[in-house]
Amino acid sequence: MAERRPKVIGFCCEKHGMDAAVLSARSGKQLDASVRIVQVPCTGRVDGIHLLKAFEDGADAVFVLGCLEKNCYYDTGSIEGRKRVGYVKQMLTEVGIEKERLEMFNSASSNAWAFPDAVSKMVDIAKKLGPIGGGERQ
Amino acid sequence: MKAKVQVVLCRCCTEMPALLNMERLQKLAAESNNVVSVMTVDAACDGKNLAPAINEAKEKEIDRAVVFACHKKDISPAIVKAYRRAGVNEFLVEFVNMREEVVLPHMSEPERAQAKAETKMKAALIRSIMLAPLERQTEEMKTRNVVIIGAGVAGQAAAHEASKAGVHTILLEKTGKSLKAPGIIMTNAQLVGASGYGGNLQLKIKAGEKIENLGAAAVVIATGGGWTTLKGPLAKSVKDAVPLYKFYEQMQTGSVPKGPIVVVDTPDPAGKTMKVQDYAWDDTLETTIELKKKHPETQIFVIFQEMRAFGLSELAYKEAAELGIKFVRYDKGGAPKVDPKNPGVLMVKDFAQGELLNIRFGTLVFASIPPNEDNKAIAEALRIPMTMDGATRRGSIQRWPVSTPRSGVFVCGSALFPKSRDVAKAEGAAAGAMAGEFVKRGRIEFGGIVALVTQEKCSACLTCIRTCPYEAPFIGTASKVEIRVQACQGCGMCVGICPSKAIELHNYTDDQIAEEARVLLGGDF
Repeated sequence: MAERRPKVIGFCCEKHGMDAAVLSARSGKQLDASVRIVQVPCTGRVDGIHLLKAFEDGADAVFVLGCLEKNCYYDTGSIEGRKRVGYVKQMLTEVGIEKERLEMFNSASSNAWAFPDAVSKMVDIAKKLGPIGGGERQ
Repeated sequence: MKAKVQVVLCRCCTEMPALLNMERLQKLAAESNNVVSVMTVDAACDGKNLAPAINEAKEKEIDRAVVFACHKKDISPAIVKAYRRAGVNEFLVEFVNMREEVVLPHMSEPERAQAKAETKMKAALIRSIMLAPLERQTEEMKTRNVVIIGAGVAGQAAAHEASKAGVHTILLEKTGKSLKAPGIIMTNAQLVGASGYGGNLQLKIKAGEKIENLGAAAVVIATGGGWTTLKGPLAKSVKDAVPLYKFYEQMQTGSVPKGPIVVVDTPDPAGKTMKVQDYAWDDTLETTIELKKKHPETQIFVIFQEMRAFGLSELAYKEAAELGIKFVRYDKGGAPKVDPKNPGVLMVKDFAQGELLNIRFGTLVFASIPPNEDNKAIAEALRIPMTMDGATRRGSIQRWPVSTPRSGVFVCGSALFPKSRDVAKAEGAAAGAMAGEFVKRGRIEFGGIVALVTQEKCSACLTCIRTCPYEAPFIGTASKVEIRVQACQGCGMCVGICPSKAIELHNYTDDQIAEEARVLLGGDF
């Protein structure tokens, strides 16, 4: 049987986060294909429910990619995003899911390696920790 | 009514077919619900190639479109414009970044890329059906007034630049000094209150003893810096320290300064490090060089913590060193203090040498501009954020280098942080030009992807009001939150944070985001 492919989902902000992803692709960086990108206007828009639902729908690792905190397109958006991620991390610990499965990253739009770095980090975590709960999920 | 979706697959010249099986994607699109037309074009970014797709959209009376091409930012303006001609609402055109998300990063894995592309297509089609048509609104500006607060270097530059756009400039000057600048100059005038939003602001101005109401389309804040005295332990022993700008003025009037001159970079060397003060550096160098040239026999010491003479000012640093001006760097531990036995001697530990230097001084000059005290009243009136230091805070540096987060309110010069005259003048010109451009348009455009409050769910907890950087939410007449559509930028921060889930962002609702994530996670690749 082929190796189980992890499912990694990233919520990227449409401004610097998405720009960083596009720049990395245009500069020829190769990624693990198991990453999915959902575009949100700003990481401040990411709600706890989106992150938790993503785990519920089968994600092994979730990440949020936003602008640099001092240079956010929407001023304080990525700070709000970080707070949200921290809050959900706490919730994950309470329900017994490793909090490493959720991470927040920041990137400048001119940073071509931030997105591949984030993806490889999350894929590594997903592979290391395996599926949530250890076995097959319902 | 059943939605009619058109799918446009872009070949991106030859990049897409090189990795993906376009026939399978076309078949999948054609078999999906609601899809009435599938077009494959060579390059969607080329208007000529897009024309057949637009023609078909007109014929089949398409109301939604999904474009599979490259980065949304690069292609959306042209495509949205083309679809608008075919009668498709601009917010119903969905873009999927197939090239940068699927093709380029997965060149070595065609099967997985194909599966990923198909999943993305499914997700995009589902999202497309869930999108709601939105309209942008416009509002005419009632006046063409640009009110410039502060008639200093930056304010005058702003007035000159704004007047080029053919708008009325009104300068408010706190003092009664006479000056020449285009437009009306109100002396002894201060801003005391404001209402409305960028484009149609109602200002309350205290001119002399009277309070006057003034309509304005844009406001430029050019309050400049404030006044300060020496602080910390140094202030106790040195009573006659002069600020740099005053020292410069004295020098211009021809009075010869006394004895060796020591220039300190901040008014409180032993206190916390000040922010980068390019003002301090540019003007220190400029002033000391001028002084040294006039009076070569005067000894000049410059004592500093951080040297940040940037750009061409570095040449001035070199020139100063060649003229014989001594530079002494100290760090926090060795902050300068006056010798207790000899009040005319300054003791400072040279950071580079590690030695304690005793510098005899006649005049102590400190280079710094604190933020203006009026900033607070202005920020409260115009509802704009401030920095920790008490200066006006600007928006995102790339998008809004001389603007505040509020549209129609611009800021320049030392109101942001201390600056040299040249920089303040340049910033003033930039802010004036932006204000002129803004008012010249004659109307403001707003709406589209903005937040909307479901008032029944709102518990008026004020969380959104505290979170929004643009001051868009406010408590309305029904004691519930309403969104000032003219100010909303569509970031959705209030939506994510609302504990009652009473706010929704058009086209980025919880359902839409969660559904897209669900479909994407459902695919096996």
